Amino acid sequence: MTEEPYRWLEAIGNRREYISEQMKGGTPVFAVSRPEGILMLGVGIGHSKVFEIYDRHGFAALGHPVDIEKLRQSAIEAAHVEGFNRSSKDVTLRRLISFALSPMLKNSFEQIFSPPFIIEAVFTELGETPAQDVLVRVHYDGNHHYETAGILIAAADRKIEAEAAGWLRENLKAEDSAARAAGLCLVLWQAIVEGRNLAEFRAPESLPRGIPGKTVEAALIDRKLPAPVQYRSLELA
Amino acid sequence: MNGDFLALLPKAVVPPAGANAPALQPLHATTVFAFHCAEGVIIAGDHRATAGNIVFSDKTEKILELDSHSLMAIAGSPATAFEMGRTLQTSFEFYRRSQLQPMSLAAKIRALSQLLRNNLAGTIQGFGVVAPIFAGVETNDPAAKPQIYFYDPLGAQFEATDYAGSGSGSGSIKSVLSFLERWGQPKPAEMSLAQATVLANRLLMTAAEFDTATGGVHPEKRLFATIKLVARSGIRSISAAGQEQFWKEANP
Repeated sequence: MTEEPYRWLEAIGNRREYISEQMKGGTPVFAVSRPEGILMLGVGIGHSKVFEIYDRHGFAALGHPVDIEKLRQSAIEAAHVEGFNRSSKDVTLRRLISFALSPMLKNSFEQIFSPPFIIEAVFTELGETPAQDVLVRVHYDGNHHYETAGILIAAADRKIEAEAAGWLRENLKAEDSAARAAGLCLVLWQAIVEGRNLAEFRAPESLPRGIPGKTVEAALIDRKLPAPVQYRSLELA
Repeated sequence: MNGDFLALLPKAVVPPAGANAPALQPLHATTVFAFHCAEGVIIAGDHRATAGNIVFSDKTEKILELDSHSLMAIAGSPATAFEMGRTLQTSFEFYRRSQLQPMSLAAKIRALSQLLRNNLAGTIQGFGVVAPIFAGVETNDPAAKPQIYFYDPLGAQFEATDYAGSGSGSGSIKSVLSFLERWGQPKPAEMSLAQATVLANRLLMTAAEFDTATGGVHPEKRLFATIKLVARSGIRSISAAGQEQFWKEANP
């Protein structure tokens, strides 16, 4: 099949459709850069979505639990090898994603006889200041981009993802705490799941601290915590 | 027999390291110890590293935080010991992150034992000997209390019920701690953090009286020991400023 380019392109197109179909049930995950640190949040029912990768690095994803786990393990391993061989300061998302994770995802996606990763992910790296935080959106095919506005959402639908990021930017003030940011993420999550029109959606006065019947996972990569380990889980309720 | 390695050996004898070899003094880090106090386990060390009769450094940090609930105090070859510490730090954190649960205390104790065992060649040669102390608390058990373990250089581990010491100055320190555990009022295990901190500095000053390889603790010059507390809640470093305050309260 690979000798016939048009069939290869067709196969790649089929894989995109297949992944898109598989991702439909996935709900968004959030990363928000705040003065206290980087807030990460996801909502699920059993499977974890928000993880610690290294001292200053986090990961949140939606998709197939096995693929989330595979990417998580690869990221942890690459980060620890780098940290051990050099130093924890040398573990950077730019290196991890460019040299370890993205090539792996791209290879997996384009090797049409093996299963692709069914995943949409966000990686974060804490800086000294919010302006130095690094937020990276990584797609199932290895494509990725760096977000500089301090708000990053991974969702199954890229149009909804962009609208949701815009909504959060409008509703989150510079001085808002991580706790308020978490509340806004929860109402936004609910609105996306209910299929509301985000252009007309208004945040309630009183923000929720949980979603009934669901498990909320939140973490803060805390700027105030002394090095080395700055990642900590947050209890919202 | 041309090309036979065994036949070639007598013709190209490797000269043994002997009188013409330059003398190389191995570096040693001394003195560290740990004891139970009312608030957990105090683990402390001086700042001196020596090479023979040379003071190589008086600013050596010998208490290494392995993770949020375990510490290693090093005595012996710093090069080997620091590498062991780094290996354990990475290993413990890698396990916690990848397995989404902390490593058990028993596994951490065993991991250090394995590293010592793997250092057999360095131990036999006398250049890479490490005799560490380990202090930690089982995070998987909410009722667990901090524990102290000491090791022989080949990797055998022993739990210390009251105290442990390692390094050239530890003999004096263990003698004083033994005395205090039997007749002290209060005993070290009953001491508050402030009392235990003052005791740790006094022990190192006492050891320095009899051992030139122990040093770097001079409260009158505001130079204090490295002291850390391992408790159920985690590790707390007692800063020089904190130690100075405790010292002044005890020595007005």
